[in-house]
Amino acid sequence: MEDSKGTIRKNNRLISNLLKGKPQQYLVVGIIFLLIPIINLWTGMISFSNMTLLNNVVIFAIAALGFNILLGYAGQVSLGHAAFMGMGAYLSAYLTMQLELPFLLSLLLSGLVPMVIGLLLGLVALRLASLYLAIATLGLGVTFQNIFIEWTALTGGHAGLRRIPYPEILGFEIRQREHFLILSIVILVGLAIFSYNFLHSKTGRALIAMRDSEHAAQAMGISLFKYKLYAFALSAFYVGIAGSLYAHLYRYVEPSAWGVELSLNLLAMVVIGGLASIGGSIVGAAFIQLLPRVMQDLPLVGGITNINFILTGVALIVVIIFFPTGLIRRFDFLWNKLKAKVGKLNSKEGGTP
Amino acid sequence: MASFLQNVIAGIETGSLYALAALGVVLIYRVSAVTNFAQGEMAMFSGFVAYSLWQRLSLAFGNTHVTYIMAFIGALLFATIFGFIVEKVFIRPALRGSLVGKMIITLGLIMIVNGSAGALFGTDTHAMRRAITTPSFFIGGLLIRPNAYFIIFLTLIIMFILFYLIRKTMFGVAIRATAENETTARLMGVPTAKVSSVAWIIATILGATAGILIAPATNVHTNMMADVHLKSFIAAVLGGFTSFIGPVIGGLLIGVMDNLVGFYISAKWRTVIVYGFLILILIVKPAGLFGKVRRKKV
Repeated sequence: MEDSKGTIRKNNRLISNLLKGKPQQYLVVGIIFLLIPIINLWTGMISFSNMTLLNNVVIFAIAALGFNILLGYAGQVSLGHAAFMGMGAYLSAYLTMQLELPFLLSLLLSGLVPMVIGLLLGLVALRLASLYLAIATLGLGVTFQNIFIEWTALTGGHAGLRRIPYPEILGFEIRQREHFLILSIVILVGLAIFSYNFLHSKTGRALIAMRDSEHAAQAMGISLFKYKLYAFALSAFYVGIAGSLYAHLYRYVEPSAWGVELSLNLLAMVVIGGLASIGGSIVGAAFIQLLPRVMQDLPLVGGITNINFILTGVALIVVIIFFPTGLIRRFDFLWNKLKAKVGKLNSKEGGTP
Repeated sequence: MASFLQNVIAGIETGSLYALAALGVVLIYRVSAVTNFAQGEMAMFSGFVAYSLWQRLSLAFGNTHVTYIMAFIGALLFATIFGFIVEKVFIRPALRGSLVGKMIITLGLIMIVNGSAGALFGTDTHAMRRAITTPSFFIGGLLIRPNAYFIIFLTLIIMFILFYLIRKTMFGVAIRATAENETTARLMGVPTAKVSSVAWIIATILGATAGILIAPATNVHTNMMADVHLKSFIAAVLGGFTSFIGPVIGGLLIGVMDNLVGFYISAKWRTVIVYGFLILILIVKPAGLFGKVRRKKV
């Protein structure tokens, strides 16, 4: 009797050690989610369109993760990040179609080029107050959409680019949605762990200090120049990567996908999921992407045109007014309550520690 | 020379509409410290109301000037109620929220207003009639479009009334006091809640007017204000958010430049060029041409 209790406690400790660090948690959750496509390869329970939807969730989670670094951690409002995603998509299409570069290299490049543009934007943003920055980036988004339409040699104009090749890694061509989902989950988990380490270093704390008060941060010796550029560059990198994945998933890019609606949706994902939270970005992306699918099946309401757009707006406002910290913190709150209860039970069973 | 003049006049025509919309944005910003990104969408909604009213009234009483004017006035009445409700329901509860939070609320408002317009009025494109239907004529090689002159004239009158209100009346004093410092104004007995409410109503009416007047050129559809909205924001940024005259000059400047660039350089790339110009100005003068940089205290 004593013995079995001991092993249970040892097991509990093992599990809690495994889940202690956030990066480990991301890894474990990632592996659990990897089971979905792997099982689906055998059973085919989830339909093709739902698999596409899940891919979409993961891709936009990557974009939201990047956007959250900018909005949640650094406190800079951008209304033009759709431009970076579009840039990543077109660039990846161009590199793999015209230059016939390998997929992984073009994926990396379609993160790096938006990153350089993001750096330039960061330089401009250094001089602007938040309101002016929001308007300047709004203009940036419209301008880039214009460029996507008019630069027909590179982008195919209104018609867009078709037949973008399947991604190919080490000779393995990713044709199935399940395989693609595995790829995007691996990238998402990698980027989430990287973000965590990045944001919990000196840099992350500097960004938060800068968000809360630029002047106070400066007085503490934080270089606004350096950290604003970091935030812009990194967010553009993530969003560019997401764009590249999007292009290879659908194998089709057109300019209307990269409008203000997408920028607003990115912002909604981050705000609804939770500002300055890595898990929040992912929850927010899932919320925005799955909402249309859920609404579609509802009777009455599902028939209204634009109902998703309206509801996203309502959700955005409700979250800002009533839970300014986002949905993820609600989960965290409940989770901690549960953990406290379980902990109490454990200590009661174990007697004196 | 004639084509240059023509472009300048066309620029002043659209520019004065940008200025109207920009004035609404700045008015709201000054009084309630909210940047209303939904200004364009709200104007679009009012435009739809004007169009539907005009259609209904024309069916009932025939397509005359009177029905158009009635529809116009009806839409302005709608805008009055619309602005009041938006301020009451969406902005008031977040009064003490952060700047970014309030900005995000108006972004949510874009989604709600745009989505509802699509749900209520459909996503089709409709043609709207001009305010003045007298056909254009030539005077010595110069094309005279009566509608353009009417628009310029009307916006001048509206601006004159607005500036008179702000500069000379007790209400204007209240607006300026609230804009300067909301808390102090409230302590001095200014009914700031009422001032904010009225500012939203005026701004919505200004936007609606701009929307209805530009509708013949853009047609009435759910994205009709996207371009006007961005240009009016650029106008407000150019002029600076700290003065009321700045956005007017900014709007005229953007309108004229837009037309000249479109005519002489490239019609395809004019949005890109005009936007590049804005970025240049912002780099040199981060608070706009007429704006004062306000030092934030820690």
